[in-house]
Amino acid sequence: MLLAGGVGSRLNILVRLRAKPAVPFGGQYRIIDFTLSNIANSGLTRVAVLTQYKPLSMMDHIGDGSSWDMSGRTRSIKILPPKTGEKDWDWYRGTADAVRQNLDFITSAGNCTDVLVLSGDHVYAMNYRPLVEFHRSHGAKVTIGMIQVPRRETHNFGIGIVDNAHRIIDWEEKPKKARSNFASMGIYVFDRDYLVTMLRRTKEEDFGHHIIPKAMEEKNVYAYSFKGYWKDAGTIQAYWDANMDLLDPKSDLNPEAWGTKTNVVAEGPPSDRQPIRIHDEAEVSDSAVSPGCVIKGRVCHSVLSPGVIVEKGAFISDSIIMHDAVIKSGTSVSRCIIDKRVAIGRNCSIGTGNPENANTEFPEQLNSGITLIGKGAKIPDSTKMGTNCIVYPMVEKADFHDLSVKDGSTLEKP
Amino acid sequence: MKDVLALILAGGRVDELGVFTLFRPKSILPFGGLYRIIDFPMSSLMHSGIGRVGIFSQYRPFHLMEHIANGAPWDMVGRKRFVTVLPPFKREGASDWYRGTADAVYQNLDFIRLNKPDLILILSGDHVYKMDYRNIVEFHREKNADLTVAFTKVPREGAHRFGLGMIRDDEPRGGRLLQYVEKPDRPAFDWASLTIYVFRPEVLMEALEENARTDSHEFGRDIIPALLEHRNVYGFKHSGYWGYTRTPQEYWQTNMDLLGSRPKLNIDGWAVVTNLAHRDIQDRQPAFIGRSAVIRNSLLYSGCRIEGRVTNSILFPGVEIDDGAVVEDSILFFDVKIGKNARIMKAIADNEVHAGKNVALGDAGDGKLCIIGRGSRIPENITVPQGVTVFPNLGPAHFAGGRYRPGDTIK
Repeated sequence: MLLAGGVGSRLNILVRLRAKPAVPFGGQYRIIDFTLSNIANSGLTRVAVLTQYKPLSMMDHIGDGSSWDMSGRTRSIKILPPKTGEKDWDWYRGTADAVRQNLDFITSAGNCTDVLVLSGDHVYAMNYRPLVEFHRSHGAKVTIGMIQVPRRETHNFGIGIVDNAHRIIDWEEKPKKARSNFASMGIYVFDRDYLVTMLRRTKEEDFGHHIIPKAMEEKNVYAYSFKGYWKDAGTIQAYWDANMDLLDPKSDLNPEAWGTKTNVVAEGPPSDRQPIRIHDEAEVSDSAVSPGCVIKGRVCHSVLSPGVIVEKGAFISDSIIMHDAVIKSGTSVSRCIIDKRVAIGRNCSIGTGNPENANTEFPEQLNSGITLIGKGAKIPDSTKMGTNCIVYPMVEKADFHDLSVKDGSTLEKP
Repeated sequence: MKDVLALILAGGRVDELGVFTLFRPKSILPFGGLYRIIDFPMSSLMHSGIGRVGIFSQYRPFHLMEHIANGAPWDMVGRKRFVTVLPPFKREGASDWYRGTADAVYQNLDFIRLNKPDLILILSGDHVYKMDYRNIVEFHREKNADLTVAFTKVPREGAHRFGLGMIRDDEPRGGRLLQYVEKPDRPAFDWASLTIYVFRPEVLMEALEENARTDSHEFGRDIIPALLEHRNVYGFKHSGYWGYTRTPQEYWQTNMDLLGSRPKLNIDGWAVVTNLAHRDIQDRQPAFIGRSAVIRNSLLYSGCRIEGRVTNSILFPGVEIDDGAVVEDSILFFDVKIGKNARIMKAIADNEVHAGKNVALGDAGDGKLCIIGRGSRIPENITVPQGVTVFPNLGPAHFAGGRYRPGDTIK
């Protein structure tokens, strides 16, 4: 059961038109590709994806599952959106509630003994088989996939205290001051019958807050320790960092070597992306570049999705540029995240400023010197825009009162 | 175009292409950093709305079948849409191999009858071009023709390699085909056959039955001349790029035509489609261009990792170029690896070729092409001058103590 309904609101305008798992990542992937690929590479064949928040682009992306080789007589991905017309409540009110509303999928799944509950929010490669083996060999009712995280990040996670037998004896959900740095990856293996009984017995809505503490009282919860690359990419800075890991040979982020697969056809043009074209006057270094890009300018330490056009004299540095964005001639773009189909006019300077001037509207979310440009926005020629700025999707020339946009500004459509 | 059945002649080896076609028919030769030659007619069929296709294969068909798969990349899967690969087969009392292009179609007349087409479009899988076949079909129908042959204008010099036609000046699109000669020693006409034919099915079947009683079975040499006298045969004029890649030099040139700020071969509007599952193209991560890389006027694809210098070159998915290496005027197929400080000048390296550290291959400028066969591994410090051909699957032992002169063949 892959829970892909996460809003991921700290990703700001990147999740305005899509759920967090559908956010593009690493040039050609979406965040959910990592979990979907892990599922396929672990040889799991019965999969449900539970969607809720803005599911359309995700449904397109998953398609019939064949990109992950999950379509066939014995393999399938079922998309389970919230159902209307049921007795209780129609929307999923939490992770446990989402699974509860689809209990019939679990109970009708033939002779399966265990249920793996995953989230589509993380960038990692993991074989779930050893986790399930661990769960079975320890006779656990619940096993949680866990990883050591840096101490300063513990307040973002569910934190477990574990005894010598790998049993979880205490649990802190997003603690201010944590007693350990052993964090939940949002991966659970449940004994099927136990899960069904638990969910029918209570009305609790969330695994982390309600179901796990309850199971712990019954001394049935174990921790499986995962070691390897794992990033939450849940904040703008973490998302930027994780993308840039793709450029660092020492980072252990290697989607191709991991067997991470994506759907390159959905939402793309009706024909295949042409080869990357690097012109005579271009300079490209320390960058990841996807098919269909045409580069005449300079690109340095950046990640480019398919179909990006960088015109002559343009200069891109330390940026993430998504599908089919166009950067016109003479424009410089520095430390920006530029969403799909954005067009930036001629002779602009975007993203240069004092990173200490946090975004005035979202100071918690945008304070490290990154400017965000939303899907389909059009930035007029000669715009000077500072850092920590937000431009909402589809903003266009008429929405600019001034071509000089200060650090920390937010531009919206009226 | 539901009533049109397309047949692609894709089985030919083309001997002149040497080591490139030892393991594959020409139609499946990689082209342009991503594609296979057969992707061009397949994409043109797709965009012309023709979804019923038979492909004749004979020479080593495995890679062709793998590439075409079930036809889904070209949207040719459905109740009325399909691609069927038609290899030679054994029949009672008859020979098994296709003895020529016409014989290939003749041996599959059952396939044609089964599909009951109104018109049959016969194509070759060997050329780089884009065409909306709806235009030639419309022309054929308007003229009430029995056979329409597509032609393109070529210079007299070199025209002896084509079938040449004289077309009556009926209208801009073409006209009655007055004369036709197959590969004449002294070319007298300017219009070369593209080996694209539209046939009325009854006429094709009758001509093939008649031709089967003779001992030469080619459309150009036998069928067109036989029909020219008593049937309505028309010539359709095609303009636009037409890449004829029969020799390594022509193949190299047609690839190089893709480069430059105003490429002679501009496929931007062509919407070419390939099979992205073949060689796992879709599973490769974005190309990584390293800190020391310098890339000029070149094409590359996902899965490439570039640390060296690349100029005027075309790199297929998965090519890796180590730092200090220099690649110029070259075409490197899938998963070619070039070691540190190697120099690759005007070379074509087939799939999975590895060149070790300090290898020097070919010469810059007007040098002759160097051609390296599939999977060969050239050990460190070896120098291979211009014009050398290296056979496929050679290992270090084959290069032991090697000193080579221009034009050598290393087997």
